[in-house]
Formats: sequence, C-alpha cells, structure tokens
Amino acid sequence: MATLENKRLPLSQLAPGQEGVIVAIRSHGPLRRRLLEMGLVRGEPIFVERVAPLGDPVEYVVKGSHLSLRRRDAADIIVELNEPEAAHDA
Amino acid sequence: MTRSRPIRVALAGNPNAGKSTVFNALTGAHQHVGNWPGKTVEKKEGFFTHRGLKVEVVDLPGTYSLSAYSPEERIAQAFITEEHPDVVVNVVDASNLERNLYLTAQLLEIGAPMIIVLNVFDVAEQLGYRIDIERFARLVGVPVLKAVASKGVGIDALREAIFQIAETPESAIPAPTLHYDHEIERAVRQLTDALADLPDLQGYRPRWLAVKLIEGDAQARRVVSQSPQAAAVLALADRLLDKLHRVYGEDVDIALADARYGFVRGLTRQVLTRPQQPPRTFSDRIDQIVTHRWLGIPLFLFLMYVVFNLVQNVAAPFMDWIDALISGPVTGWTLVGLHALHAPGWLVSLVVDGAIAGVGSVLVFVPSLMVMFFALAFMEDSGYLARAAFVMDKAMAFLGLNGRAFIPMILGFGCNVPAVYATRTIEHRSARILTGLLIPFMSCSARLPVYVVFGMALFGSRAGLVVWGLYVVGVVVAALAGWALARWAFPDVRKSVFVLELPRYRWPTPRGLWLHTWEHTEEFVRKAGTVILGIALLLWLLLNMPWGVQNPADSYFGKVSQAVAPLFRPAGFGTWQAAGSLISGFVAKEVVISTMSQIYIGEEEARQPTPASRDPWADARDTLVGLGQASLDAGKAFLDALTPGISLFPHAEDTSNQTALSRALRGAFTPLSALAFLVYVLLYTPCVATVAAQAQEYGWRWAVVSVGLGLSVAWALATGVFQIGRLLGVG
Repeated sequence: MATLENKRLPLSQLAPGQEGVIVAIRSHGPLRRRLLEMGLVRGEPIFVERVAPLGDPVEYVVKGSHLSLRRRDAADIIVELNEPEAAHDA
Repeated sequence: MTRSRPIRVALAGNPNAGKSTVFNALTGAHQHVGNWPGKTVEKKEGFFTHRGLKVEVVDLPGTYSLSAYSPEERIAQAFITEEHPDVVVNVVDASNLERNLYLTAQLLEIGAPMIIVLNVFDVAEQLGYRIDIERFARLVGVPVLKAVASKGVGIDALREAIFQIAETPESAIPAPTLHYDHEIERAVRQLTDALADLPDLQGYRPRWLAVKLIEGDAQARRVVSQSPQAAAVLALADRLLDKLHRVYGEDVDIALADARYGFVRGLTRQVLTRPQQPPRTFSDRIDQIVTHRWLGIPLFLFLMYVVFNLVQNVAAPFMDWIDALISGPVTGWTLVGLHALHAPGWLVSLVVDGAIAGVGSVLVFVPSLMVMFFALAFMEDSGYLARAAFVMDKAMAFLGLNGRAFIPMILGFGCNVPAVYATRTIEHRSARILTGLLIPFMSCSARLPVYVVFGMALFGSRAGLVVWGLYVVGVVVAALAGWALARWAFPDVRKSVFVLELPRYRWPTPRGLWLHTWEHTEEFVRKAGTVILGIALLLWLLLNMPWGVQNPADSYFGKVSQAVAPLFRPAGFGTWQAAGSLISGFVAKEVVISTMSQIYIGEEEARQPTPASRDPWADARDTLVGLGQASLDAGKAFLDALTPGISLFPHAEDTSNQTALSRALRGAFTPLSALAFLVYVLLYTPCVATVAAQAQEYGWRWAVVSVGLGLSVAWALATGVFQIGRLLGVG
C-alpha cells in the first residue's frame, strides 16, 4: 500500500484520465495569479482530459471548466493522486 | 425623480461568459469600438433607450479577476471604482458558475450597485443544473437575473432592472459577506478602521481599499496616498503586511484567493444543485475529434486552408470590381466634372492620379479584410480558435510564441494587412508585437506577380523552383528572426504565461459576427486608410515635381531613386530604375512591376478617354452587372474553397503578354542580380497598408522598427545572395 507521501507528484506527471487534488502551487508571478483566478487552489480536484497532438500542452478540467497548461508550468503544481476507485478489495 | 443625465452601465465578466452577446443584445446597432485612452485594449461603448431614458453601456475587458496586474484588469477595476457607473452588470456563465463567481466575489467587495446576469442559462439547464435564483439574490444582496443573450431571452428584464436600480441604487448595494482567514480578517478590519477616519476617500469603500492594500494593489495605494493623512495608514498597511508574510510566507495571495473561493463554494452549495456525474456534452464530443491525437493537426490545417482560400478567392472578384469601378466610372466622371470646371492640369492629375488612386488602394483591401474578420470572428466566437491554439502551441513555442500566433502567420501568405489585425487574438502585448514584426516576412500574394514576371523573363523552366524557394526563404527568415527577437528583444515573451481556457462550443450569433466584421473594417478604413492615402499623395507629388517633368528620371522621384541606388550596388541592382521601382513598391508590391514597365519601356499611360464619351447608363449597367458577376464568382470561389483539390469551376488562366518587359528585364538584370532583387522584394517592407496597420495596432514606434527590420534584413540577404553567387562564379 502506497503511503500518502508517495502519492504527491507534479501535475505534469499525471496521465489522461487521472485525477489529483492540488496540494501546493510553486509557480510565481503572473502564472501563479492566473492559476489562482482560474480556480487552481489548494484542495481543488483537477482532472487530466487529454494531451495536445504534439505532446504539449495538456488539457485539464477544474471546477467544470476546461483549460490548457504547458507541461513546464504544470510541473510547479503539486497534486495528490486520487486513485480511481481501485479499492475493490474493500 | 427625473434625471438630467443618462444612466451609465458597465458590463463586467469573464472572457467567454457571453459579455459581448449581452452587450450586442442590449445596444443593437448603437455601438462604437475604439481603444481605451493610451491603451491597445479595445473599448466598446453603446447605448439604448428605455422608458425615454438614455442608457449608456460600456463593455469592460473580459477578465477572470480584478487586480492591477494586466492592462485589462486595471482598466476594468479602475472604471468601476473611479468612473462610478450607476450600475455594474456582471455577466456570469451559468454553466460554469463556480469559476465565474470568483470575479463576482471581487465585484461584490467593491460595493457598487450591481446586477448579476446568469447568461447561457439554457446550457446550464441542459447540463442538469438547477439554480435557485431567489435565494442567490438574497444571499448576495443584489438582483440576479437569468438570460440567454444569444436568443434575446431576459434582455428586456435586464433593461428594466438597470432602470430600476439607477433610480434606487440602495436596493442593489451588495451585502459585505466575504470574510477572510482569521489573521487576514483582523488586519483588514484594523486597516478599515484606520481608513474610515481618513477625510477624503473619493467614495471608495474603506473595506475594499483595506483588502486591496493587503493585496499590494497599486491603484488602491494611489487613492489612499492622495489623502492628507495617508502616511500613517500606509505605514500601518506595510506593518500588517509584514506580519502576514511572517504567518503565510509568500502565500498571502493564495490565502486571499482561498477565502474568495470559500465564499463562492458556500454560495454555490446553497443555490446550485447539479447531477453527480456531468453528462458528456456535444462540446466534449466535438473536442474528441478536433483535438484528437492524429486528426487534430490535419483538421486544423484543412480549416486554415479553407479560411485562406476564402480570404483570397472569395474577396478577389469584389476587389477586381472595386478596382474597375474606381479606374472606370469614378475616374471618368471625375474627369468630366473637372473638365467642366476648367480645372488646371495639375489639379486633374492630383485628383485622379493622387487622390482617387489612393482611395482605390485603400478600398481594395476592404473585401479581403471583411472576409478575414468574419472568419476570425466565427472561429473565436464558436470556441474553435482556442482549440487551434491548443493544437499548434508546441510548434510555435520554438519561436517563443504561443499557439495563438499561428493563424496570423498563415494569413500573412494571403495579405499581411489582415494578418496584422489577426494578431489581436494573441493575449500578451509583447507576443502580439513580435508576431506583427514577423508577418511581413510571409510572402503575401502581391509579391507573386513580381516573382512570376522575373521568373518568366530570366529563369525559364526553373521559374517555379525560384518562386517556391522564395516562399521557403520567407518562412525560414521569419523563424530565425522570431527566434532571435524572442531571445534578445522580447525576453518577456518566452516567460509569458500560456494558460488557455477552452470554452464550450457555441453557435456564433449572426449579429455578433456582422458587428465584429463591420466595425473592424470601418476602423481600418478610418485609421489605416488615412495613412495610405497620405503616402499615395506624397508619391504623386514626388513623381510630378518639379511640375511638368516628362521623363520620370528628372522628377523628384527620379532624383531620390538616383540618390538611393548606390546602396543597392553590393546587391547587384544599383540602378535608379530598380531603386525607383522598389520605392514605389512601398505603395503595394505589385506596383514594382507597373513602375518597371513605365520606366523601362516607357509605357504610354492609356487613360483619359475623352470626357464627353462617357455614357451614364452604360456605366451604371456595367457597374451593376460587374457586381453581380463578382458575387457569382465569389460564390463559386466559396464552393471551391470548401472542396479543396477539386475545382468545381475550372477557368482558363489568362496568359498576359509581358514580352516587352521581359526583354527589358533581360537587358537590365543577370539571373543572379534578379535573384538578389527578388530576395529583396520578398523581405523588405510589404506595403504602406501593412505599416499603417502595424502603427494602428502596436504604435508608430513598432511600425518604424518593422520597416527598419525589413529594409536591413532584405539588404543583408540580397547582398549575401549576390556576393556569394559571384564568388561561386554564377553571375
């Protein structure tokens, strides 16, 4: 069983179909402000919708709205992975 | 109570919330587009009359929040807090409530009389959302209305609500319900108390100023510092802020945002019920194709091909029609009129060769600009433009630009003028300017005739290769220049943020499309048109002074050309004829060829049919028939554009007879110097219309930089081609 510690990772490492909960935003300056106003705040779930044809940027869903972030920028957002109901053994 | 002055309304809301649709529905045709003073941000104003009272509406820039960071946000915030509109109408996308209400939370804090409009309510209902409007209004203390602005639903109610609130503003002052984190709230209250004692706050709510001071907002600081006892309060603010930084570290802004979203979450929990699992919408299904791994890019390129064809081919018949109208009946009848007035020869020439020709060169851009603005508005309003940027972003990231820069660059192949205007869709000013500086290197269609004439005269069977090579050179130069400029001149472009909202797809409203197309075209004629006309008149003056010159070589134009010519000697075409045709090419690139025919083979100007010979009926008939034919041709071109590769209406290429000019060119150029000349034509300033468009969009300083960049890059490469060619012994 993975510990909580293990499940913390940069948003950029999530694959399409995965969902995480934002735990920290390490971006600075205008990007940080833009992320906040687009609804990327701590405790918010964020879902990876798809990757652009050329591999970057990536489309995410936050608060029901779709937005695109470059991988470089998503790397500064730390999320906790939400396991997609894998706990069938319960 | 009777009012003497009109009601003033400000529309505020997120981008993509349908703010423009509400604006259009409210004001109809009574609107005007301009710029905010000293800014390149578009300002839309309009009015309507309700119960005999004039209501003025200002459409504020779409923003996700209110702060003093981006020009758009500064404008929106300053307008509401400094201009004190009677009513602030906050347009909210009801299908995306939570994100949109973040701005609403900030607007409520300002404390201005406000109405919340829940727009695209129909989509929210389709998604299964249920919103308790009455409860919503009670909780925020301001009227809340639902609307579907694209169908005109709820607009009358909005008009009435605006009217009511302007009469009794007290009924729409929001209740202060947003509370911050413990430490921040304490600091805000301490500051609010201190601010409340200041004598002159110009109508600002002390609490709003306190929050803004904590946020480090420059506008709030400026307002406070104008008060006589400001120093003590500002010192207190700094002390409190220091303390907060010790508690929260860097995250004071996050704590503020958290509190606002906390408020929004609490609000939505009480007014919104939505299904557990949001249904897959039509929009999602479109995106599965449009942004698909393999289909995304081919689909984008196909759509660009269609748009490009529309701009090129659908506009072309109308451009020819305008051209024929101006050079035919308009010129003819002016000559008749001037003749009747016994106007002197110089005046006739000034009016006909200067003014009318100048107006013609402005109007000739109108059809392609209208098509381009229409296509762009369609892509933007439907939501596709954001997807195009998403799909192409990585390709443009190399240049330090983002995906939004791709479309203007492609349009540049058709005509640089609409391409420059298309950079408006790029969010950041530096990125917009950088793109605008690169567009002139994209070989526009006006350069093609020059390539073709030279190609046929000097390159024979290899002409096609030369033309193709020139296009490639243009793209390579643009890429290299973009890379270098982003690296050294626009370092902030590389760092600029690219967070892009992918809004839900929707059908653009015909009225919105038409208004967008018409207003921007009109703006071009008004602003850029004046500049183009001025340059055309200047060129006329140079060509005809001193008055009565017969040989162009003796005119001021000839003198200037002779003075400039030596500069081109290293590039292999240092003759005054070549220099002169390049100078006149400033008006439009294809003019290079007509100037060359005039000065190399002394082509007689075949104009001035005897005035008496004009038949008004024939002119009127020809003009109307011409317009009909143009519409027909445009229709065919439209269908052709939608079926690429298959021409539904094949037409014979007209083979123009250029033999005299060809012979002259073979005498004046070697293949090597011709190649250098073509490279120069490709890269130097495209035309005065492009420069005027750049000046309108980015300011004169950047237009001048672009001209300088074009001239120097063109000279360097043309010289390089000629000198290297000579070393290799090709010349």
